[in-house]
Amino acid sequence: MTQINYMNRLRLDERELASRRAFFEITDEDLARLATLRAFGERHSTAIVDALYDLILGHPESRTFFTDERAVARVKKMQQQYFIGLFGGRLDLAYVEDRLRVGAAHERIGLAPKWYIGAYSRYLRLLHDRMFAEMSPADASAAFLSIKKLVAFDMALAIDTYNAANMDTVARHQAAIRELSTPVIRVHHRVLLLPLVGTVDSHRAEQIMETLLLKVVDEQARAVIVDIAGVAVVDTQVADHLLKTTEAVRLLGAETILTGISAQIARTIVQLGVDISTMHTRARLADGIELALGIVGRVIVAKEA
Amino acid sequence: MARGSIPILRVANNLLVTVQTELHDAIAEAFQEDLLAAIEKTGAAGLLIDVTGIEIVDSYVARVLADTAKMARLMGTETVIVGIRPEVAATLVRMGYTMSGVRTALNVDEGLALLPRR
Amino acid sequence: MVQVLSRHELAIEREDDVVIVRRKVRTLAHDRGLDSFATAGITTAASELARNVFAHARRGSAAIEELTDGPRNGLRLTFRDDGPGIADLERALAGGYSTARSLGLGLSGSRRLVDEFQIESVVGRGTVVVVTKWTRF
Repeated sequence: MTQINYMNRLRLDERELASRRAFFEITDEDLARLATLRAFGERHSTAIVDALYDLILGHPESRTFFTDERAVARVKKMQQQYFIGLFGGRLDLAYVEDRLRVGAAHERIGLAPKWYIGAYSRYLRLLHDRMFAEMSPADASAAFLSIKKLVAFDMALAIDTYNAANMDTVARHQAAIRELSTPVIRVHHRVLLLPLVGTVDSHRAEQIMETLLLKVVDEQARAVIVDIAGVAVVDTQVADHLLKTTEAVRLLGAETILTGISAQIARTIVQLGVDISTMHTRARLADGIELALGIVGRVIVAKEA
Repeated sequence: MARGSIPILRVANNLLVTVQTELHDAIAEAFQEDLLAAIEKTGAAGLLIDVTGIEIVDSYVARVLADTAKMARLMGTETVIVGIRPEVAATLVRMGYTMSGVRTALNVDEGLALLPRR
Repeated sequence: MVQVLSRHELAIEREDDVVIVRRKVRTLAHDRGLDSFATAGITTAASELARNVFAHARRGSAAIEELTDGPRNGLRLTFRDDGPGIADLERALAGGYSTARSLGLGLSGSRRLVDEFQIESVVGRGTVVVVTKWTRF
């Protein structure tokens, strides 16, 4: 599975970063304040992360994401680094890239937003309690407000990566569906067959042409048989699409043979006035195959009895 | 761009030219002039233009290529264009520009097979 | 809801500018996630339209906007010039003209390569062409 470059996908450049910082109201003061609390953070990181995982491992559903002890130990360590990062005092692209990695890791193991938002919520509660225990109410209040803003910022990134990954999956599925609806078969060395079935609208016609052209180059095909016996309706538009596809295939340096032309289709095409005389056409697929083989210098011969 | 910037090779009695970059305006004109001059000089029987390196062919470039083939034919030279990319082919036919009258082949070998072997 | 993510404005004053417009469009199309065919389509359309601006008006501009509309991404190009304008728009769009560097095929051709196409032209004042290409589902 290819890695998505989230920085690119989310268009996370300086401008976007500045926009998010402004919207989440994270000021330089907030960052400075959190930086002064680094020691506090380091002191409590182990306890807080442990408490966080008590919640995760204590809940039947979320527990299933963390099966063995070593995985838990590894994840706790990563989580501690994440936690300390909140007190880093900086909010630049490097910070963002770091946070995106966390989101990506969550997405990879299939951890849905509800789990990590719930976890963030516990983080905040744990921090709140400790801050108010250790600092004056005024200081604790200010510190908690600052950290809430930063956590919200991080949460947005985590959700964004989750979404981006999902959309990517959808896109891949769509590509797969497209492939399946344009099954190009290699009938012989350098001879391809594309049996068209169903309706061919403009959208599908475009995809068919593109898939076919790519396959022609891939296979260095010299002949392409397009069988339209299974096409529901052959009207002027469909005929036009077929003509265009034939022309494009010719530009690549290959020839197209149209087969499956029934009496009905032949009648329709001539009556519509569409000129496909420049194309090789046959009624039967078998004849088209023979013609195609001839183009690559092959002949079908009967075996000696 | 300097004249003679796209190298023209001689293969038997044919000329082979490989276009590596986009053929924009000034380069395209020089390209055509160089080819015709080479045909005149060598009396080549065939001209093979390999356009595998071209990613974008607009109507202008298509016209330059088609015209070059016509001019070559007037001088007795047959032209075959090879290596048109799927994206280029799709774009050309969608625009309505078919380049009919220009012979094409999948690659250099097939192209050479199409040219006369005097 | 269509959102404009960025806008790039390029001047078209020299022949080389056509190439610059092309390269920028190609890069942004790729960034927007348009596949190789869609990228080739919009880049070629941009080339045609930029060339038209230069050939007929000698001066003009190309504005390239990156768009997003929910799950799909797009590129919108606006070509402006203060040239002579097109007298018979219908004929031009049908591919009727065929002058030296050809206004005809360029305009009608690019129209077929994009998803949205708008043109406004006033004789003696100039022309504006707006084209949009979206990612496909």
